[in-house]
Amino acid sequence: MSAALEVDGLSAGYGRGDIVHDLSITADAGEIVTVIGPNGAGKSTMIKAIAGVVRPSRGRVRVGGADLAGLAASEIARRGVAYVPQEANVFRQLTVAENLAIGAWTDPAHAVERRERVHALFPDLARFAGARAGTLSGGQRQMVAFGMALMVEPSVLLLDEPSAGLSPVIAEQMFDTIRSVNETGIAILMVEQNAIRALGISHRGYVMAAGQVALADTAQAILASDEVSELYLGSRR
Amino acid sequence: MNAQFIVNGIVNAALIAPPAIALSLLFGVLRFPNFAIGGYITAGAFIAYAANVEAGLPLWLAGAIAMAGTALLVWLSDEIVFKPMRGSDPVTLLVVSIALTFIIEHVVRLIYTADVRGFDLPLQRPYRFGDIRITQEQIELLVLAVVIGIAVHALLAYTRIGKAIRATADNPMLAEVRGVSTAQVIMATWFIAGALFGLTGVLAGLDLVIEPLIGWNLTIPIFAAAILGGIGSPYGAMLGALMVGLAEELTILVLPSTYKLGVGFIIIAILLLIRPHGLLGTPEIRK
Repeated sequence: MSAALEVDGLSAGYGRGDIVHDLSITADAGEIVTVIGPNGAGKSTMIKAIAGVVRPSRGRVRVGGADLAGLAASEIARRGVAYVPQEANVFRQLTVAENLAIGAWTDPAHAVERRERVHALFPDLARFAGARAGTLSGGQRQMVAFGMALMVEPSVLLLDEPSAGLSPVIAEQMFDTIRSVNETGIAILMVEQNAIRALGISHRGYVMAAGQVALADTAQAILASDEVSELYLGSRR
Repeated sequence: MNAQFIVNGIVNAALIAPPAIALSLLFGVLRFPNFAIGGYITAGAFIAYAANVEAGLPLWLAGAIAMAGTALLVWLSDEIVFKPMRGSDPVTLLVVSIALTFIIEHVVRLIYTADVRGFDLPLQRPYRFGDIRITQEQIELLVLAVVIGIAVHALLAYTRIGKAIRATADNPMLAEVRGVSTAQVIMATWFIAGALFGLTGVLAGLDLVIEPLIGWNLTIPIFAAAILGGIGSPYGAMLGALMVGLAEELTILVLPSTYKLGVGFIIIAILLLIRPHGLLGTPEIRK
């Protein structure tokens, strides 16, 4: 069986040379895969290149067997890839309900049933349906961002630092949610600073350095590795 | 006497409001101040003039042709001028748009000279309500402005393309990754704005006179209204138009009417000093 997401030989950057070099990773349906690495390793660039926000200079991004590398971000979204950026991940001027509706943009016929599922997962989003997203707290906004991505009913979910800027309690809830969403069979590729917590809910992990994969292993093995903990998990351990 | 100034101010506002809304929509999606609006409005006025006076069509039909023709011209100006420069610095695009307005204006002048013209309409006495006089055209102008305000609101709040425009104005990258095609949103916005500029040309030709500078003379009050309301906020633009329209007319009470044109500049200057994001706009948060 082919992986839900298969990235092969990907290189990408912002015009002045590539930041990500010849990178290959995979994520299967029902799998959570976390990518860790120091700042500047190219983690965000990688995730943006998969989503089509940054145009890859080389390589393939296969989703469900089809190569999406080089397509417009809106077209990649249409093929079932939902990317949640780290910042500016909601429409601040739009209401929570309108934000969710845009999540189902490519498939408006199913918006109502999907909204009910998202509301079941995040009951607060039903309560704040009429509020502008920009007026919500950081944790609530993150829920809107996450709920909007689920409205896509994606086969692949790309999360860039989902716990960034959240209080420890809210971050904990976010990781629980990621795990329960994953149980529905979505492949989740996540970049995360909170490496211990993220790897704790992941099946596999990659360590990225200087735009390349430095290590690929099961999440447990990465957590147990002395070398990795010294280099990247550091004082958090 | 003063009531007449208020009526004139409201009529003035009704003329400024639709293009201010259009400018606000354009800025929200394209993120640069487009000074070509003067040229677009002039083009709208002369297309209507050609259809009404030269081709002998009734004014309502000439107006519809002007709206469609200007929308097409505005879209073409994007295809030829702005599209190849997408992503350029806003100041560069601003200068380019000023050049574009001169080009459109002078093409019109080449064909029609600088003569002052008017639509083919029977002269009518203004209606009188006590001391207040108002013409048939001014009443039509008021009604149209209200209808356009409601229509733009309905478009933005309830239609799929309206929601796409708001989402793209709010967060273009996120809209794109949720499947909203930025290219389609930009095209729709140019067409909607173009139709509103074309209509403004017709209405300005009704209320004032038709000449190549008709659009340029409206440019500053339109910008003042859009900035006053918070540029990128169409509802703010309606409020801004009302305030600029009244301010311009009421200035005549205390200053010679030649200073009327300066009012827009003064409003822009004061706003940029004390509330740069306008009345209803939101300040941009940058990290």
